[in-house]
Amino acid sequence: MSFIEVRQISKTFKLAKKKSGLKEAIKSFFKREYIYVEAVKDISFSIEKGEIVGYIGPNGAGKSTTIKILSGILNPDKGKCIIDKMVPWEDRKRFVKKIGVVFGQRSQLWWDIPTEDTFLLLKDIYDIPEEEYQKTKEDLVEKLNLKDIINIPVRQLSLGQRMRCEIAASLLHNPEILFLDEPTIGLDAVSKQLVRDFIKRLNKEKQTTIILTSHDTSDLETLAKRIILIGKGQVLYDGSLKKLKNKYETERIVSIKTKEKLEIRNKGIKSKKKNGEGYDIVIDTKVITISELLNIISKKIVIEDIEIDNESLDNIIVKIYKDYKI
Amino acid sequence: MKYYINALGMHLKSELEYRTSFIFSFFSQIIVFFSYYFVIISLFSKFDNIKGFTMYEVLLCFAVIQFGFAFNEVFARGLDKFDSLIVHGTFDRVLLRPRNIIIQVLYNESDFVKSSRLIQSIIILIIAVIKLKIKWSILKIICLLLMLISAVVIFFSIFLLAASYCFITVQGLEVRSVFTDGGKHMAQYPIGIFNKGFIFFFTFIIPYAFVNYYPLLYFIGKSNKVYYAFSPLLLFIYVIPCILIFYLGVKKYESAGS
Repeated sequence: MSFIEVRQISKTFKLAKKKSGLKEAIKSFFKREYIYVEAVKDISFSIEKGEIVGYIGPNGAGKSTTIKILSGILNPDKGKCIIDKMVPWEDRKRFVKKIGVVFGQRSQLWWDIPTEDTFLLLKDIYDIPEEEYQKTKEDLVEKLNLKDIINIPVRQLSLGQRMRCEIAASLLHNPEILFLDEPTIGLDAVSKQLVRDFIKRLNKEKQTTIILTSHDTSDLETLAKRIILIGKGQVLYDGSLKKLKNKYETERIVSIKTKEKLEIRNKGIKSKKKNGEGYDIVIDTKVITISELLNIISKKIVIEDIEIDNESLDNIIVKIYKDYKI
Repeated sequence: MKYYINALGMHLKSELEYRTSFIFSFFSQIIVFFSYYFVIISLFSKFDNIKGFTMYEVLLCFAVIQFGFAFNEVFARGLDKFDSLIVHGTFDRVLLRPRNIIIQVLYNESDFVKSSRLIQSIIILIIAVIKLKIKWSILKIICLLLMLISAVVIFFSIFLLAASYCFITVQGLEVRSVFTDGGKHMAQYPIGIFNKGFIFFFTFIIPYAFVNYYPLLYFIGKSNKVYYAFSPLLLFIYVIPCILIFYLGVKKYESAGS
């Protein structure tokens, strides 16, 4: 059995139906109508120890709900979930010692006091022995570069600084699994890089299993080899990022630097645009390969330089969402 | 318990970060609170007694209830503010920590400014007890202590019930003020001065009577029934279903979206 085993999990929320307008508001005050929203339905997957999995999907797809079920906050209506031989919502106290959770949009640090004080509190809450605490703390302080900010009240920290403290706080007890719910949201490029590098290193050094949700596709590209795509509460794709990309990445942009004039009309060439120093040619790789294209062009003109652009993961994801109508 | 105390320490620390604000609110609390006492004192300047209860007897009753309420406001503020815990999703964090849920909720918020009320109620209590010229016995000491403890327990139970309701409605419920604030104002007076219906309600539905009426009768010598002295112990039974209901609510918890 896998380290994390999720079998056919479903969760339905009951929501009060809200209509606009005062009249409707008064009406619904006396007689409530409810709608039932299936946040997740029949979700199954398994994750091995030491994997980094990107869990992606549009807003409202059920990402947070899944994370909350996996971390034991919510009970599912149906289905089984066994993580490290425990059922999260049943063995709550024992289970949560093994996991760390970072919610990018919600802080677990105490607002008015320095981060180090929050750490001390967490040390008590998780019953971390003094020696181990010192060791872990020093390690985190060094790797996340917290030395200068750990003694400043949290309210005075920048978002990037706070996020680094946030991540450190959820790792003090050396969890085996780390859930990251949008860890880079709102961060600048430097902070993002730092956080990503740290996560990668953590996974490598401690074999921490990491489940990551993010709307930032570069997070996924640098971190997750495997992604699980979810939409309307169902798993749509589970596999390597590369395969997904290959499937959807059929368009390539080939930029050619040349001083000569280029006339080309072949199958598979979708468009040709003149840019400053040459041409941008968009091709369909299913019809014509890049080498074929270059072959044709090099026979006609002298190529000074070429640049081949990958389609961005962002575009690919938009395409996938369209494909699945989510 | 250690982490609970440490967490409260952190609260104190963060409240003291805003020093001026802390000092001002501390003293304004004292002024507000003494105005309650003046109401009672001025009432008794017109009447000698209310249905046989003298001023210091009423003040004693009053102090006990205020003590219980203020104690919960300082040490169990998180329960009082439970709706905001749910709305802001802080309760998720509580569930992610390997500790008792209720204790974590207790220390999630705190209001040390309210400790001024706690101190005041103790001062009033001491004045009342001295003026009453009680014939002391061990039983009477136990009786007084039980009154104070049960006052804490009853407000804890009511806070807990009100908090449980948040699991269903998310938003806090104004009805709960009827039981906490309203009940508190009634219970500040010996319940015997009210009519039958109120006595029934405050004996069996929300048992304030066992906190500050029956034991009070014994304490001030209006009754010799020893079991009156121990009647506050009933509150320890009352709190059990309240705790169970809260945990039932936890099972129903549906978290806020993010």
